[in-house]
Amino acid sequence: MGDLFANLGLGFSTAVSLENLAFCFLGCLVGTLVGVLPGVGPIATIAMLLPLTFNLDPTGALIMLAGIYYGAQYGGSTGAILLHIPGEVTSVVTTLDGHQMARNGQAGIALGIAALGSFAAGTMATIVVAVLAVPLTRLALLFGAAEYFALMVLGLTLAVVLVRGSVLKALSVTIVGLLLSTVGTDLETGEERLTLGLSALTGGIHFVVLAMGIFGLAEVLRNLENPEHRDAVKAHIGRLLPSLDDLKRCIGPILRGTGLGAALGILPGNGAVLGPFASYSLEKKLARDPSRFGRGAIEGVAGPESANNAGAQTAFIPLLTLGIPPNAVMALMVGAMTIHGIIPGPLVMTKSPTLFWGMIASMWIGNLMLLIINLPLIGLWVRLLRVPYRLMFPSILLFCCIGIYSTNNEASNVIMMAIFGLVGYGLQKFGFEPAPLLLGFILGGLLEEKLRQALILSRGSFWTFVQRPVSGGLLLLAVVVFILAVLPAIRESRKKALIE
Amino acid sequence: MIKAPQDAAGGGLLIALGLVGVWEGAALASGSLGHVGPGLLPLALSVLSGMCGLILFAGAFRTKGSKLDRWSLRGPACVLGAAIAFGLAIKPLGLVIAGPMAVVLAALADRETRWTETLIFAVVMTVFCVGLFRYGLSLPIPIAPWLIGS
Repeated sequence: MGDLFANLGLGFSTAVSLENLAFCFLGCLVGTLVGVLPGVGPIATIAMLLPLTFNLDPTGALIMLAGIYYGAQYGGSTGAILLHIPGEVTSVVTTLDGHQMARNGQAGIALGIAALGSFAAGTMATIVVAVLAVPLTRLALLFGAAEYFALMVLGLTLAVVLVRGSVLKALSVTIVGLLLSTVGTDLETGEERLTLGLSALTGGIHFVVLAMGIFGLAEVLRNLENPEHRDAVKAHIGRLLPSLDDLKRCIGPILRGTGLGAALGILPGNGAVLGPFASYSLEKKLARDPSRFGRGAIEGVAGPESANNAGAQTAFIPLLTLGIPPNAVMALMVGAMTIHGIIPGPLVMTKSPTLFWGMIASMWIGNLMLLIINLPLIGLWVRLLRVPYRLMFPSILLFCCIGIYSTNNEASNVIMMAIFGLVGYGLQKFGFEPAPLLLGFILGGLLEEKLRQALILSRGSFWTFVQRPVSGGLLLLAVVVFILAVLPAIRESRKKALIE
Repeated sequence: MIKAPQDAAGGGLLIALGLVGVWEGAALASGSLGHVGPGLLPLALSVLSGMCGLILFAGAFRTKGSKLDRWSLRGPACVLGAAIAFGLAIKPLGLVIAGPMAVVLAALADRETRWTETLIFAVVMTVFCVGLFRYGLSLPIPIAPWLIGS
């Protein structure tokens, strides 16, 4: 316990330095902005801003990037409530009751409870991260190559299962992502693999190029095809602070939502996406009068919004302790860390404690800032929703190009990004979700390395993965999860849960 | 009869990708399980991708599914063309040319684009980017190599 306070003390003393506070604020501000604006997601933004952080101190850079991520969760609710357009996947549920509340003239209260719930959840989740970090890191140090391999397989399985739509298609793109990660020079033998004879591919595909192509550019192309109607902006916002009565009703949903979101967020494989859905169904089940849900029930905003923010926070746990990114945004954080010479994993905590604890402390500070950024400034964000897309997308494109060129001053990378933009566009057209592809791509290198190591240690016996208890257990869990998802009956209910 | 054209096309592409992977990876040594060579994983993943494609393709004949979406030409051509043009122009011509060119080319993608607005916007954005990236963040991005040498 004493250690925890000492660690958090170190973290806060790092995070409150003027420089880091500024980075945290900047990150939260940008995050809110992209969260509010539909059509610009956190993945594309972080990819775009990554080159900006090259010359920064790594702690500041990561604090800022983390701020963008959880700031986007806050901002996402604004679009969901006012426009019925979820800024992020995780705010889809908020559109249900949040937008109804706005139609009933309670837009302000919906925004208020979303922000307050998010803040409460963010605070509690930060504590969860701090408490779990030390024991999980110790556990991670006991992990051998086989266990790492098994854990990544479990993570990828969960990512496949949690994607909306066909499991087979999700599995296919994950495999394609893994395949793309093998392109380039083999680390052990130095042989060129699958380079198609192109010299631009000998160094492998840079993850920012892939991410910006299949997320950034493909997103622009999709938005150009489906112009949105943004006329609901004129809605009257009204009072922001919920009444005491409202608050009392929301304490339960906020606590339950935080618990659910935090627990699901820790899962490798983007469990955080499930939090809001789970919380919404739970609140609906617990409510005395479930028919209020869908017609502007405040619990239907408070619960899911808390779950979504708690999940965004605890998603850092697998990254910080094991070095395994649970979703595409965290995968970009891995990239950011590697660029700064930090290898994500259990050693970060002992090797660079100021970075580790500073980042955790900054999450709480960031949540406090977000409360201020979101509530009093809401009018500013609403006005921003009126920026026409015809000016926004050429700027996004220019930033993408400059960003990609600057990652290693290679003009060929910009052209490769354009090709992946076309790939991303094609994936949408053929009904494939791009997120598991990026996750597969990011985990691919580590997965292969650990597989080869484990097989060398076991002298070529695949049994090693099953015989070692932890690795065997993780693989068994992966198999069970996969079978459950493929079973048609369960697939039906999963579909329903995701549509709800 | 194909009942799910979207799945059939997606499956076909996966099969093609698998074949390319197997063809390209054929020369690489697979090694043994005790000492995995560089070719094993690419081969295994290519085969898996092809198998997924086959299942998807076969399924398209059994169950009804989505039709093929229409592909638009203008958006992708302009936006991706703008990125390619930027990539080609940045080293020889620098940001002062590549920047406005990319913005204007991309803006062609949208029918609502207004010309004077776009031209002014392109210049303003470029000036902003030169200031931010080159001077603010000191990234070594070429500004105008033909004029000032870098």
